[in-house]
Amino acid sequence: MGNGNEDDYNFVFKVVLIGESGVGKTNLLSRFTRNEFSHDSRTTIGVEFSTRTVMLGTAAVKAQIWDTAGLERYRAITSAYYRGAVGALLVFDLTKHQTYAVVERWLKELYDHAEATIVVMLVGNKSDLSQAREVPTEEARMFAENNGLLFLETSALDSTNVELAFETILKEIFAKVSKQRQNSTRTNAIALGSAQSGQEPVSGEKRACCISL
Amino acid sequence: MAKSSGENGPRAPAAGGSLSGTRESLAQGPDATTTDELSSLGSDSEVNGFAERRIDKFGFIVGSQGAEGALEEVPLEVLRQRESKWLDMLNNWDKWMAKKHKKIRLRCQKGIPPSLRGRAWQYLSGGKVKLQQNPGKFEELDLSPGDPKWLDVIERDLHRQFPFHEMFVSRGGHGQQDLFRVLKAYTLYRPEEGYCQAQAPIAAVLLMHMPAEQAFWCLVQICEKYLPGYYSEKLEAIQLDGEILFSLLQKVSPVAHKHLSRQKIDPLLYMTEWFMCAFARTLPWSSVLRVWDMFFCEGVKIIFRVGLVLLKHALGSPEKLKACQGQYETIEQLRSLSPKIMQEAFLVQEVVELPVTERQIEREHLIQLRRWQETRGELQCRSPPRLHGAKAILEAEPGPRPTLQPSPSIRLPPDVPFPSSKAKPPKQVQNEQRKRSKASGQPDKALAPSQDTVVTAAGDACPPQEVPPKDPISQHLTPQDSAPQNLVCRRSQESLTSQESEDTYL
Repeated sequence: MGNGNEDDYNFVFKVVLIGESGVGKTNLLSRFTRNEFSHDSRTTIGVEFSTRTVMLGTAAVKAQIWDTAGLERYRAITSAYYRGAVGALLVFDLTKHQTYAVVERWLKELYDHAEATIVVMLVGNKSDLSQAREVPTEEARMFAENNGLLFLETSALDSTNVELAFETILKEIFAKVSKQRQNSTRTNAIALGSAQSGQEPVSGEKRACCISL
Repeated sequence: MAKSSGENGPRAPAAGGSLSGTRESLAQGPDATTTDELSSLGSDSEVNGFAERRIDKFGFIVGSQGAEGALEEVPLEVLRQRESKWLDMLNNWDKWMAKKHKKIRLRCQKGIPPSLRGRAWQYLSGGKVKLQQNPGKFEELDLSPGDPKWLDVIERDLHRQFPFHEMFVSRGGHGQQDLFRVLKAYTLYRPEEGYCQAQAPIAAVLLMHMPAEQAFWCLVQICEKYLPGYYSEKLEAIQLDGEILFSLLQKVSPVAHKHLSRQKIDPLLYMTEWFMCAFARTLPWSSVLRVWDMFFCEGVKIIFRVGLVLLKHALGSPEKLKACQGQYETIEQLRSLSPKIMQEAFLVQEVVELPVTERQIEREHLIQLRRWQETRGELQCRSPPRLHGAKAILEAEPGPRPTLQPSPSIRLPPDVPFPSSKAKPPKQVQNEQRKRSKASGQPDKALAPSQDTVVTAAGDACPPQEVPPKDPISQHLTPQDSAPQNLVCRRSQESLTSQESEDTYL
């Protein structure tokens, strides 16, 4: 997956990071968008985000990755966070079983707030801490399969699979988008789900389609 | 100096697969070992190799997020004057709050001298009174085991607050330990509230200025009096304040308001961290401290004003909006604010001048509350009404309470002339001259109040009964008034040693 020019892109895909506090969402974000990792990255309060433009085939896709607090308490204020998201990385810490045990709750939360067609990937983070593993790969993989989720294990610390995770989900989103566009040209109607906010393209700029599924 | 794997910047796991970084626990018993073997050695910052890095005057590592460039320094003479004024106020707090609150407010707006900031915050917030009313309480909470569910989350956050501040840089160091103690104590004090992550930066800022017990009580005051409901379940209070902020913006900056409206940007997308952390994670540090000085005195309206000023200057004109074509770009603009608008002098001026009042905030609060009830039903967590600053908090205190005992921390021999400045108001000079001449005659005699219409250091006239002693030196020359105050003054005049060690927390 190559890198596109930051200002030159055909698509904007909003992807949200969700999961318990401390699983590594913020570091996955910084690893993917800035190739940075910090043991002491600040507790996320409110909303953080970062972007990175990537090439998928010939299309330049701007991935807008959103990050927020994972603590239970913050669930109350995240509906704005989900608005317009076409993808979600549901992250758990594979060295802390408790963060995996609540994955179903997170899925419910996601489907309560986001479009039903949102592409979801289950991510088991901190794979570098192999001796501390508390969630067997197979178990998580089975769960993902049974629930129609993509699945990968990553390490934001040593970069394992981080690129792959984002690349995979973006490709999946792109495939869905392309399919829908094919369908819509056939039926001559654009069914893009409920109106999305804030993603209107601006005339005169190269921003073409801000997509929602 | 010994190099460890954990020293410089991002830490890679130590050789041998030790679990550096992600699994330290402070809650375990004496048998547990921390992986950070250096935590108990020497000064926190030296041990982690930070002695090689410069620390700015606030404690931030130079070059990191919190550190700033060259700052405008208050001239030393002015600083000393302010210190003496503040000492006077703190030594006669009840009187000042009762009669000269406006002056206190003005002085908070000018900025509390760093040497007295921690103390002043305790007085302003009522944290000091709370501590006096609850002797031994913090210790009791400190010694109790906490709820493991909260402790787990708190531990995960200890190394994630101001990691570039020397107080918190060291894993398991004193700063992080105190942070743990304060946050744990709160979850025990208010188990129905538990822990909310934004409390950590708040507690951390407090700890930079005072010890754990004092910081705890100030945190209590913030969570219960200044910002009730901010950290509770459901976070309803912060949502309401987001709506209030947005609504107030309409008058303050119609351009910004319109833009945010059109872009359908939920206030929570930009004001959550601002408000929940009282801007401690947003502004340059000198500005944070100025805002907190005013916040402790005047309450949440300061937070609203800062938010409005930032919004107005970031999004308030067509030129600025050129870069904000979409929702994302707009929020991005609000996250990378121009240093100019966050700069201490500019920001404080704007905040002081912005005509947004408590009444407006409360009125808007009712409007938004009604809207909420219409669209979302009743609030699930009703918080007590918030108190708008130090005076309101003081007045809300029930029943008789202990008079605040002054506990000066500066020890001076009684005959050292207090450094005087040419800038003193003439009345004050006259007063001191009068005192000195009286001193030669009758140093120990208490002058009857009626003989003197002494004026205060600030030059405000006050009735003969009210005579706050002006500075520690001439205190023994000052007419004494009512009996209890008499004793207090005399005690402080005799020995200026610190009654409480924590008062020298400079």
